[in-house]
Amino acid sequence: MIKSIDRDTCIGCGACVRICPLDTLRMGEDDKACIAYPDDCMTCFLCERACPSGAVDVDPLREVLPPTFPDVPVELGGGRA
Amino acid sequence: MKSDVKINKVETDLLILGGGSAGLWAAHRFNELMPERKVTIVDKGPQDWGGLMTMAGGDFEAVLPPDTVDEWLTDLVYYFDGLCDQPLMEALLARSADRMRDYERFGCEFFHTPDGRLKSVPQRGLPHVKLYPAQQKGRGGELMAKSLVARLKDAGVTRMGRIMLTDYLVRDGRVVGAVGFHCRTGEAYIFKAGAVIAATGMGGWKTSYGKNTPTGEGMQMAFEAGAELQDLEFCRVWNMPRLFAWEGQTHLFPLGARFVNRLGENFMSRYSPILGPNTDPHFTTIGMALEIRAGRGPIIFDVSPLRGEDMILLKPQTGWQKLNYDKLCKLGLDLFKDNTEWVPQMTVSHGGIRAGIDGSTAVAGLFAAGTARSLEPGVYAGGFALMTTAVTGHMVGESAAAWLKGADAAPALNEGEAMARLDRAYAPLGRTGADTLTPKEVLTRLQAAVFPYDVSIVKNGPALTKALAEIERIKAEELPRMAAADSHYLLKLHEVNAIAFVSELYVRASLERKETRAGHFREDYPHMDPAGPAWFFIRHGADGSPEFVRERVPLEKWKVPLTRCYQDNFNFVEPRDAAKA
Ligand SMILES: Cc1cc2nc3c(=O)[nH]c(=O)nc-3n(C[C@H](O)[C@H](O)[C@H](O)COP(=O)(O)OP(=O)(O)OC[C@H]3O[C@@H](n4cnc5c(N)ncnc54)[C@H](O)[C@@H]3O)c2cc1C
Ligand code: SF4
Ligand code: SF4
Repeated sequence: MIKSIDRDTCIGCGACVRICPLDTLRMGEDDKACIAYPDDCMTCFLCERACPSGAVDVDPLREVLPPTFPDVPVELGGGRA
Repeated sequence: MKSDVKINKVETDLLILGGGSAGLWAAHRFNELMPERKVTIVDKGPQDWGGLMTMAGGDFEAVLPPDTVDEWLTDLVYYFDGLCDQPLMEALLARSADRMRDYERFGCEFFHTPDGRLKSVPQRGLPHVKLYPAQQKGRGGELMAKSLVARLKDAGVTRMGRIMLTDYLVRDGRVVGAVGFHCRTGEAYIFKAGAVIAATGMGGWKTSYGKNTPTGEGMQMAFEAGAELQDLEFCRVWNMPRLFAWEGQTHLFPLGARFVNRLGENFMSRYSPILGPNTDPHFTTIGMALEIRAGRGPIIFDVSPLRGEDMILLKPQTGWQKLNYDKLCKLGLDLFKDNTEWVPQMTVSHGGIRAGIDGSTAVAGLFAAGTARSLEPGVYAGGFALMTTAVTGHMVGESAAAWLKGADAAPALNEGEAMARLDRAYAPLGRTGADTLTPKEVLTRLQAAVFPYDVSIVKNGPALTKALAEIERIKAEELPRMAAADSHYLLKLHEVNAIAFVSELYVRASLERKETRAGHFREDYPHMDPAGPAWFFIRHGADGSPEFVRERVPLEKWKVPLTRCYQDNFNFVEPRDAAKA
């Protein structure tokens, strides 16, 4: 999931905002990119790769989804906490 | 719709919904044939992003000598357990090498071995079907997308991004345009078109892994306009790491990787002594599910049998896959060193619009290409999608050009209908009240209804019936309460509506198919129907609700007889004869 955009490093080029397929990122009022809608980020790294200044950090861990095995304990490969 | 919403009107000869592989190829081919006509590609995602292809490794299937189309067709009839539209598949396979050559001409390279030969990776234990990996493992698809977009730019094709289309406009039985809205500006759009190509991709459940954009609106819109759908009972259950995304398993299994259970057993060799782990994820995930249900999970990915020299093909070299890999290694999650847990996960729907070889649908002027039309019954070989989307896109570009040549000019739009459709699309915007729900809340409940393994993998009647009741409840009680705070969320809301539509048809179709065949496994009907393969089409019933129509596969008319089935390689349940005895 998208983790952070470093405001000090961001040069406001807008590349990440243009490329995000899920419209997660937008330009803020200070002309820097911001994470406007994180809830649909699919961890595709397109934003981080597009950024010329290394300001974007995407965490490689993906979103936790409703389980495939609701009744099997996590330690046995299921989804029951 | 509020009266201050700006309405943009766009006229075009050809309107293409979706700028993924299929849409880009369709535009490219149409433009080659009719450079004087206006083509407009509209995408709900970024302009020119290229759809899922942008994230694809770039593996491509093509029938290259010494293989023949007939050999591949025979493989696919076997692999699909007979559910193969042979004339269609033959047409696609016959054009596959040309599209691969086009890509090479566009500057996209495929991987060559040190002695200069094209590297190929056989798929799913099939005698002939194989993929050709891109030279730049990890960026192959991205380079393909860029090469096509560059051509369209040069040709003056109009490309528009961030516009979600919600409805087709139909007049006198012919599609004459579409309406939608811009998810950033909130402005409305009315498109008038001579012909329309649906290249809107699959349905799906937003499971990350590069697959949050295919959500099925294209199918829903086409169905509402009068098109028929098919293959909704087939979904793609993918095996993926529990914690992260990983791309490239289509290479790993043929080269020796395997899954093991908690006891260290290579369980797929038990379920299929012939194929072992080298099969489609559809079968691997059934094996995983049975192991986990029996208490033998978790499932671990074991790469120890891989040979060092194959690693160059396997370790991501560039692109998002390399970035992902480097970050995971820092977290102690090196797939090639550490034990990583994998889980089966439902991802996208294999259902789609029913279309002829030329992409024509039941609605005049509406064509379908790529994964928006159904092409495979839930089993899939690596590289198949980039090939079939390129070929069907190319073919549909030709069909639309031929159709426009012969068709009358499109009738005028019915403005009243366009406005009524827009009003409906904008209605949830700014909806307030204590009982409103966000699209994400409803999405999570739809996912929870269909993800359980007895609905998505090892299906059974009671579990499917329970899931259907929950989806119907969500449709009645929750979809109408969804509210969008702004035009960004209005897009997400329409996606969730489509996910509900696809979820319902997925479950209904799964109940309808009372057998196990290709990518559909029913534990309560664990064998193939002895009556032979048949498709289920979905059309509007008399009361407007979806009606399933069974259509037998006319094997007697077609080239390749069904002499053996891929399904027979697995012993997830007792063989039919043993069960009888
Ligand atoms: C990570 C990853 C790796 C892959 N690797 C490979 C590989 O190596 N080889 C291979 O063969 N296949 C691969 N695939 C699969 C392949 O990339 C896709 O199946 C294929 O590109 C789909 O093309 P498409 O044009 O049919 O659909 P899409 O790419 O989904 O394009 C559909 C487009 O339509 C737009 N759209 C949808 N609905 C609307 C609407 N209502 N209004 C406006 N626009 C809309 C979407 O935004 C999208 O851009 C991979 C997929 C992923 C995700
Ligand atoms: S990782 Fe992908 S989906 Fe997430 S913010 Fe970046 S570009 Fe958008
Ligand atoms: S790409 Fe990087 S520099 Fe450009 S706007 Fe985004 S964060 Fe800022």
